[in-house]
Amino acid sequence: MAQIQTKVQKQLPPTKKRSSLSEKTKEAISGYIYISPFFILFGIFGLFPMLFSFYLGFQKWNGLGEMEFVGFQNFKWILTDQLFWTSLSNTLIMWVLGTLPQLLIGIILAYALNSTLIKLKSFFRVSIFMPYVTSTVAVAIVFGIMFNDQEFGLFNLIAGLFGVDPISWGTSWWGVKVAISTMVFWRWVGYNTIIYLAGLQAIPNDLYEAAVIDGATIRQKIQYITIPMLRPIIILTVFTSTIGALQLFTEPLIFIGRTYREEGLTVVLYLYREAFVNLAFGPASAAAIILFLIIIILSTINVFIANRVGR
Amino acid sequence: MKKWFSLVLFLGLFLTLIACSDDSSSESDGGSDNSSSESEGNSDSGDSEQEAVELDFTVFGSTGYDVLIEEYQAENPHVSITLNEGEMEDVHNNLFTAVSAGSGAPDIAMIEISNIAKFMQASDQFYNLNDYGAGDVAANFLDWKWEQAQNVDGTFQLGLPTDIGPTTMFYRTDVMEEAGLPTDREEVAAEIDTWDAYYDAAKTIKEETGKPIADSPEMVFNAMRDQLDQQYFNEDDELIIEDTVKEAYDFTTKMIEEGLIGQNALWTPEWGTAMAEGSYATMPGAPGWMVANVKGNAEDASGLWDIASIPEGAGNWGGSFLTIPKESEHPEEAFAFISWLTAPEQQLKSFTNNGLFPSTPDIYENEEFLAATDDYFSGAPTAQIFADAAQNVKSVYMGVNYSMVNTAITEALINVASGGADPQKEWDKLVENVETQLERQ
Amino acid sequence: MSEKIGSKKFSMSKAFIYLILAVGSFLSIFPLYWMFVMATNHNSAINNVPPAFIPGEALVENFTNVINTIDFFGAIWNSLIVSTIATIGVLFLCSLAGFAFAIFNFKGKNILFVFILVTMMIPPQLGLIPQYIIITKLDWLNDLKAIIVPGLIDAFGIFWMRQYISSNVPKELVEAAKIDGCSNFRVYWNIAIPVIIPAFATLAIIRFMYIWNDFLWPLVVLRDQSSFTIQVALRGLIDNYVRDNGMILSGTFWATVPLIIVFILLNRLFISSLTEGAVKS
Repeated sequence: MAQIQTKVQKQLPPTKKRSSLSEKTKEAISGYIYISPFFILFGIFGLFPMLFSFYLGFQKWNGLGEMEFVGFQNFKWILTDQLFWTSLSNTLIMWVLGTLPQLLIGIILAYALNSTLIKLKSFFRVSIFMPYVTSTVAVAIVFGIMFNDQEFGLFNLIAGLFGVDPISWGTSWWGVKVAISTMVFWRWVGYNTIIYLAGLQAIPNDLYEAAVIDGATIRQKIQYITIPMLRPIIILTVFTSTIGALQLFTEPLIFIGRTYREEGLTVVLYLYREAFVNLAFGPASAAAIILFLIIIILSTINVFIANRVGR
Repeated sequence: MKKWFSLVLFLGLFLTLIACSDDSSSESDGGSDNSSSESEGNSDSGDSEQEAVELDFTVFGSTGYDVLIEEYQAENPHVSITLNEGEMEDVHNNLFTAVSAGSGAPDIAMIEISNIAKFMQASDQFYNLNDYGAGDVAANFLDWKWEQAQNVDGTFQLGLPTDIGPTTMFYRTDVMEEAGLPTDREEVAAEIDTWDAYYDAAKTIKEETGKPIADSPEMVFNAMRDQLDQQYFNEDDELIIEDTVKEAYDFTTKMIEEGLIGQNALWTPEWGTAMAEGSYATMPGAPGWMVANVKGNAEDASGLWDIASIPEGAGNWGGSFLTIPKESEHPEEAFAFISWLTAPEQQLKSFTNNGLFPSTPDIYENEEFLAATDDYFSGAPTAQIFADAAQNVKSVYMGVNYSMVNTAITEALINVASGGADPQKEWDKLVENVETQLERQ
Repeated sequence: MSEKIGSKKFSMSKAFIYLILAVGSFLSIFPLYWMFVMATNHNSAINNVPPAFIPGEALVENFTNVINTIDFFGAIWNSLIVSTIATIGVLFLCSLAGFAFAIFNFKGKNILFVFILVTMMIPPQLGLIPQYIIITKLDWLNDLKAIIVPGLIDAFGIFWMRQYISSNVPKELVEAAKIDGCSNFRVYWNIAIPVIIPAFATLAIIRFMYIWNDFLWPLVVLRDQSSFTIQVALRGLIDNYVRDNGMILSGTFWATVPLIIVFILLNRLFISSLTEGAVKS
């Protein structure tokens, strides 16, 4: 490999001139071929549903009968529905409570797992990833018991130790959100840890070794080596977890069940209920389109910020 | 590394081959293979010359229909039936998707009462069972049950009735005794014969034992609601809750505010736990299938429970119908099968084997049926009690948005019970929410 | 795996790291452990206050009930087929596309990449009915292909591979290989693949678990018992009105075991990756 590298430095300028055109076209053709499976599959399975949803946004439809064109009526309904705005603010609150901390803790855990000092590495890795493996049925039951509203619920017992009165995790405004965010946090920390871990493992050890020789502290090592080298991965996780958080669906559905209680209603849960419970597919699609626009805006802002942090 | 990857690639290709061959066989032959060989085997012994017919039959829950299907197939060798069992919600969602997309529905679909009105809207996607002789078997069934699967003017019959869930009042004899109230089921029914008496009993129980009379606001409300002829909608689909169930709502919330009813939501772990602990006295509005639920949640409470009738009459909770979606190519055969399956003899077997309470009143006079008692419930003659309740149920028009309204009311009740919300405010809010929602469909 | 840095002067931070990992592991494993406990208990013990915290005696009984109620092993087999094929397919397609986006230059590259990202932003829940219509048109109902083929679409996977390749596959190396006459595919195969094994392992784990645990979509397109994946089959344990949580969690627990095995197997690839990384530098 080292040999090849030196060759590059010697030969790079002449080759560029020699066969740039044909090489470029070749590369472009390969590029298109390599990415084509996604677009073909998406064209078959993703495009139609996407356009269908968009079309439905302007129709009145109960899923069974005839459709009726209603213009922007559905959007008007959604935007004037107090419940929609509640669901949006719920989503944003749970994003802050559940998603942001999970990225931070994920990095710390990945860093710890990647540390060469550690024995039992495989054991720790497997266990930290377990929440992602555990099926939602079990999660629902376990969290249901832990967030029991009565005094004997695990979290209320803990609250009791601090002199806090039992909290109605299932029905109170903050209780529901904290419970769902805890569940989100718990389920996804391991996932992000594994992603970061893969990123960390690509950072050559000699960089750290050199830093140690220069007398760098752990903080400095993280700040000047880990974070910059990990930036592409951090951007990825910020991006995907923003989308994931704004599309939060499974965890609240598990926790509040099919009561669709206002305190834990997220936007996707709102539109899911609108479509499949209330049979109002038009407004549901309108809500989906609005959410889609919100996601575009927020994830753009986020990636922009993540891009600048630590730079 | 190369080795590793090519190994994985090879493995992948290999599995693809397996999967593809596996799929095609399981898809088109898997089911039919077995069944056709089975029906061949049968037709050798049988004497039928009819064309072989295959029927897909989708059910939810433990119906025990597999045994009955075998029996039917033995008698009708030209028919082979594939039974698919699923979870209740999933089965309905799948049927909805199939009906919506116009493809993928089974020959026979089971529909639960809470979903009947929804599919009635798509009645053009189902066969009208009246065209196949439903009228001839109508007399087998309870009137109110029969009407549940009918359109408003009675011209369209969507399904044939299977089981029902007539409601009674379960109660804890130990708590009643502690409160100095009667424990015998006859005496309990006599003592608590009106809702006012129920309220008085609640006061007594609270004073003597400190326990609520019921733990779930929903069940008290439901029990009262189900005694009304008109509930959430009238037959023109207008929301009428203000004039109908508001009274039941007020009664329930008043009891909640006085601490006479607890705050458990149905199906939660707390709710199951409370059954085992006996932390309350009665469970009004409990249908037949709740028997198994109580036993499962509170194995050790055997002999501490008993069953009496609900003050002021019974209601119905749950129960299903068998329908034939338009996609089926064999509606005659399908109808012949479901009318056999829902006939009294078969319903009796379903009851004996799987506890599906029959919707055919003939059985209620059957000695063997009436003899059924339950030691867990202090030896109560359960079949008799539920049969009496079944005959007191009123026929109600539910309307397509019934469960939406129900969810809203339940949420309001729970808010009052657990969050101490103001009942009237919660009511106003739910009415507003429901009205907004109704505009949109 | 080099243990070079480990020395006594870092014992404080070492203890701290162990503490973090121990707490993290405990919190992560606990629910799984509890699931096991409940899988070995009767329903009434689960509803007790306080609930059971040590394994009960109904281990065999609960699992026997599971096997009698659903075709457990048949469904596990279907899940293995579906998850394995879809995962291998995703690894191949996503690494190829990610490689193209990270290394090659072609017209419209950025727009196409952004388009892929945008597809992730569409809430998928409403697509259920139209997607179902497509499957019925293809006549794939009750066919495992209905899970596998749409499962190959993984915008995240492409994004992941692009990010990983762009920061870990040196462009000079690619150029050099090309000069030596390597075709584009050989560059991908011989140069990119060896470097991105940890990325493969990560994506494989995530994708495998995702497809294994997914039930919303399989539930819609698999209606015939012989085609059920394990998550769909497990739904069959939920009775109409009566819930036997002991049995449900027993089925759920044993359906998780294959996942843990797969994870442990793939986990080894992380470790081998460290030596690979050394080659690179």
